[in-house]
Amino acid sequence: MSSGVRTERLCDEIDAAATLADGMTIAIGEPAPMAMVRHIIRRNLRNLTVIASGLTLDLLVAAGCVKKAISYYAGGGFGVPVAPAFRRAVERGEVTVWECEEGILTSGLEAAGKGLPFLPWRGGVGTSLPELNTDLKIIEDPIRGETLLAVPAIKPDVTLLHAATADVYGNVQHHGGPGWLDLFLARAAERTIVQVEKIISNEQVRANAWATTIGRADAVLRMPWGAHPYYSRGYYLQDSALLKDYVSAAERDDGAGLPAFLGHYCREPATHADYLERIGIKRLLSLHEY
Amino acid sequence: MSIDCSVSELLTCFLARDLNDGEELQVGVALPIPEAAVRLAHLMHGPNMELIFLGARMNVHHLERVPLPAFGWDNRVVRWTESFSDRGHRFDQVKDWHRRVFFIGGIQVDPFGNTNLIGVGEDYSRLKFRGPGSVGTPTLTTHVGRYYIVLNSHSPRIFVPKCDFISTVGWGQGGADARTRLGLPGGGPKYCVTPLCIMDFSEDEKRMRLRSVHPGVSVADVQRQTGFPLLIPDEVPTTPLPTSRELDVLRSRVDWVGALR
Repeated sequence: MSSGVRTERLCDEIDAAATLADGMTIAIGEPAPMAMVRHIIRRNLRNLTVIASGLTLDLLVAAGCVKKAISYYAGGGFGVPVAPAFRRAVERGEVTVWECEEGILTSGLEAAGKGLPFLPWRGGVGTSLPELNTDLKIIEDPIRGETLLAVPAIKPDVTLLHAATADVYGNVQHHGGPGWLDLFLARAAERTIVQVEKIISNEQVRANAWATTIGRADAVLRMPWGAHPYYSRGYYLQDSALLKDYVSAAERDDGAGLPAFLGHYCREPATHADYLERIGIKRLLSLHEY
Repeated sequence: MSIDCSVSELLTCFLARDLNDGEELQVGVALPIPEAAVRLAHLMHGPNMELIFLGARMNVHHLERVPLPAFGWDNRVVRWTESFSDRGHRFDQVKDWHRRVFFIGGIQVDPFGNTNLIGVGEDYSRLKFRGPGSVGTPTLTTHVGRYYIVLNSHSPRIFVPKCDFISTVGWGQGGADARTRLGLPGGGPKYCVTPLCIMDFSEDEKRMRLRSVHPGVSVADVQRQTGFPLLIPDEVPTTPLPTSRELDVLRSRVDWVGALR
């Protein structure tokens, strides 16, 4: 029954994190919703299937949260050819990879969004991908008889994103555009949780409705600096020094680097505010908007 | 070498010369030589080139200096961007990618220019080395008009008779119709360039063929460092050196920090 009042979707970070559970398929956009990623690690979630890349993927793997990585790319962006924890875990067989690439991934996400069992895609024909990932089926198309891949629908239980602004009703507006995969992830997912730098008024959304990139986020979290140590367009640049610290920690021979890093930055701070206190206002303010 | 330059600069200038005005030049991550080459070509002879870094499309011919290499990852790239090809619709216009030129690296390359970014090892469930993954290279190389394989080293570990896994199809099992038979519309790999030499693919077999060796490198050096027999013509020229103007533009307007020196 209606309460007669429009429901606000502004959500507390702890409550939002509590909706995530072991075994879920969680998609993570870029710019990265790092505050929520840290909550996943803090809550010690297990057996997740993640759609993620770069540092986000590597942190979750290092923390033991990941069973399967739907991964098109696990390198770059933070100074190493291959994300170090991901590399070790996959070589040891601790994490399995749903081998794919960008066009295959977006086809699977689009199939989910469109309510289809699969979508065909050409990129990957002739490669090892359908051998390594038997969910990808080689098909003969019924129209022109061409060889294509059938990519099954990929439907995340939850998509986590970071954006610039939103109103309390879940109208999200990115600054400088969303990350390349974000809208695919949002359209495919059962639920979308979006961290934002700022809450804006509903009037401000209406003043430029064309700028609304996601019209109906299920939950909005107010998380200034919530993508740190990654960038947030128009708010702060990437904290490259911290990314370098991560790589050094991951490469320490005694194996003590990653647990210490995860403890200090992810497990110990109970909330995003605690994390920001740990990083310190001087360091945060040193990251220019542009 | 009569003009003093590094091998990275040599390759940058070689690639830049092979790029034509009006083309769309897309460069992914961790490829410093192509990153520099497209900028150099744009400044030297490409006022109508479109540069695409991580989905950000731009024409920066008017710039006095075209920064390298943070341009790709740094979100300040928006300053130069005219459009984003990737805002929720990255692959919706692949039909036009015959105009596009692309560059890839690889951890293994076979005689037909098939490459591997997935990993090394006989058992996929226990890889000896897990690679970064295919990124967008299967889709890009399926559709682009041509692409270049650009490698930072040249050894029998990289140049193998058969890749453990194939992430991008070059010329498949060989033959001029190799790609047509697979239904891949793009033009395939044109050159494979390394710190030792430039290679292309023979017209009939599409097998890797030595095209030129860099100054100071012998044909025997190249063959020794390649894990399969290369096609070797009777005459193998030396890779053309950069002109002093190319080097000047490269060093003063693209790579003034000296990343390629």
